[in-house]
Amino acid sequence: MTDIAHLKREILRGVVRDNLDLVEGRRREPLRPIQRRGRPLLLAGALVVAPLALFLSLNAFTTGKGERTDVVVVGAPSAPAAAPVEAVLPAPKGMEPSLFRLDVRTVVLDAGHGGPDPGARTAAGLTEKEITLDIARRVRRMLTAAKLTVSMTRDGDAALSLRDRALFANGRKGDLFVSIHVNSMPMADAPGVETFFLGEAADARVERLAGDENRDSGYTLHDFRRLLEGVYTGVRQNESRTLAASVQESLVAALRARNPKLENRGVKSAPFAVLVGTEMPGILAEVSCLSQPEEARRLADPAYRQAIARALADGVLAYAESRNHPAGKRS
Amino acid sequence: MSADKDVLWVGVDLGTSRSSIAASNGKRHVIESFVGWPVDMVAKKVVKKPILFGREALENRTMLELHRPLERGLIKEGSARDEEAVRELLKHLLGLAAPAKGQKIHAVVGVPAEALRVSRQNLRNAVKGLADSLMIVSEPFAVAYGMEALLHTMIIDIGAGTTDFCVMMGRFPSEDDQRTLTHAGDSVDEQLVGLIKARHPSGRFSVHMVREWKEKSSFVGDPPAPVVVKFPVSGKRAEVDITAEMKRACESLLPPITETMLDLLSRVEPEFQEKVQQNIILAGGGSRIPGFAAALEKALADFGGGRVRAVEDPVFAGSTGSLSIATDAPESDWEPLSA
Repeated sequence: MTDIAHLKREILRGVVRDNLDLVEGRRREPLRPIQRRGRPLLLAGALVVAPLALFLSLNAFTTGKGERTDVVVVGAPSAPAAAPVEAVLPAPKGMEPSLFRLDVRTVVLDAGHGGPDPGARTAAGLTEKEITLDIARRVRRMLTAAKLTVSMTRDGDAALSLRDRALFANGRKGDLFVSIHVNSMPMADAPGVETFFLGEAADARVERLAGDENRDSGYTLHDFRRLLEGVYTGVRQNESRTLAASVQESLVAALRARNPKLENRGVKSAPFAVLVGTEMPGILAEVSCLSQPEEARRLADPAYRQAIARALADGVLAYAESRNHPAGKRS
Repeated sequence: MSADKDVLWVGVDLGTSRSSIAASNGKRHVIESFVGWPVDMVAKKVVKKPILFGREALENRTMLELHRPLERGLIKEGSARDEEAVRELLKHLLGLAAPAKGQKIHAVVGVPAEALRVSRQNLRNAVKGLADSLMIVSEPFAVAYGMEALLHTMIIDIGAGTTDFCVMMGRFPSEDDQRTLTHAGDSVDEQLVGLIKARHPSGRFSVHMVREWKEKSSFVGDPPAPVVVKFPVSGKRAEVDITAEMKRACESLLPPITETMLDLLSRVEPEFQEKVQQNIILAGGGSRIPGFAAALEKALADFGGGRVRAVEDPVFAGSTGSLSIATDAPESDWEPLSA
């Protein structure tokens, strides 16, 4: 075999491998702990946290007073289904999810808006629904490369109610839920990023924003009240806040390098309907601001969307890493 | 390549502006990447077809819902029709390759690198059922493979929606070996429209006219000849010299492409950097801009010099490269990749 023929054969193997990865559901390597490689990589996030969905679902195996049992979830081939909302109501307070040493295996990405709902829009016709989907697909690729299973609430221009999105996330047994949005703040002087977890509205502007994003939620008032009762049990909210902080920190660090004027609008709580119905730690990230002309121009550039996606993915992976290796307790 | 007469191998270059197909039976076709559906029953009666492609679609655009589905190097969002348009475009191209009845089709489809990065699963879904087996690759990689430029080479594929860079170092390129810019043919069109409008506010012309002017008369550096075009100004048909606007619009590609080329070169292992510098290949429609390769060589002069050449046949370089991949892949490689 000549050198070029050998080279072509080797490269062809790469082509085939790459395409096999494309085939839906096919994964070349199983999810593995990174310790196997002896490097404390972010990939370790793949085997880290006790995501609240799993944590809460463990309640089904506890005495109801919150004691741990010997039910082994670590290493199970796939995460067990999150318990229905009614079952999680007696969730214990003050427990540390990392005690369970559970894995984050499945991340559900939610590209905001879609279908007849374009979300925010620039004068040039760039829409929030296009940008969020593009970024979500990039994040999917990055998290998949980090050996996580990623599901997307929409992978095309689909119309989905917020309720449908939450039901999808629960049905996919997601361990984390990340909803991606782009802000529109015509009165703001500078673009900014902010990340939300479920809670009361931090201020009047956030309340208006939540109102906008909650349109067409698909929930009845009864559903909403029942779901809210299951929310403030503490643990899921705490984990969501930690995840939000990790993502926000990553977004600000990465995007300020490209735009020093970028405002860090911080981590805030807000009553976003899409976060109410999801049964796992969840956040809603407003990753940019379409009403800012300069930012709209940047968002048209794939390299900028790639940077946002990288920051989101890094934030998720860093969260997972921190849960796996709490301070002073490395394993 | 197997001599199996039951299989037709095809290579497709699914581009933002043009799409081409090259098949193992010797057929080669190129069409503009436009797909149009008649807007109503009247239009359907006039055009006499349920769907039109390429130039024919463009010429009848007033009666059509016209789609150029891979704009900005991605399957466009906002309309499910764009995914359908990709599917119809590929179906049309495969039809042009004229497979024999009952013949299996093994297809390698080259797409803009950004589409591969972001919309790969959608692309695969879009072509489901059209071929028996399918591989999707990036366009610059297909060009490199077809030219056997697999080692110490940089491909710069200047398309309509994106400019894709791919450094070949004797391995299947990773994401780090590739870059994408949105400075490409479409951005030249937009600049040209703006510049001509600024000088002739009452001039009337479409982006399609501007695209044709660019394809005939683009250049960087010294103009080979004055660029004079005709369009109505204040209602009167006028001859307008757009040489300065053409130069400025085409040269707007140089800074971002030069910068990215130099950045990628700086990341090549030092012992191989000079070899890559001497082996830079321009592909895509932009490779036909007179003076472009020379301008990049001039930029390389400050870094020890380099050689930049254009592919001989930019229209078919991607599809023939994809066909080479298709024919080189043994049957066992195709089996798990059924579409």
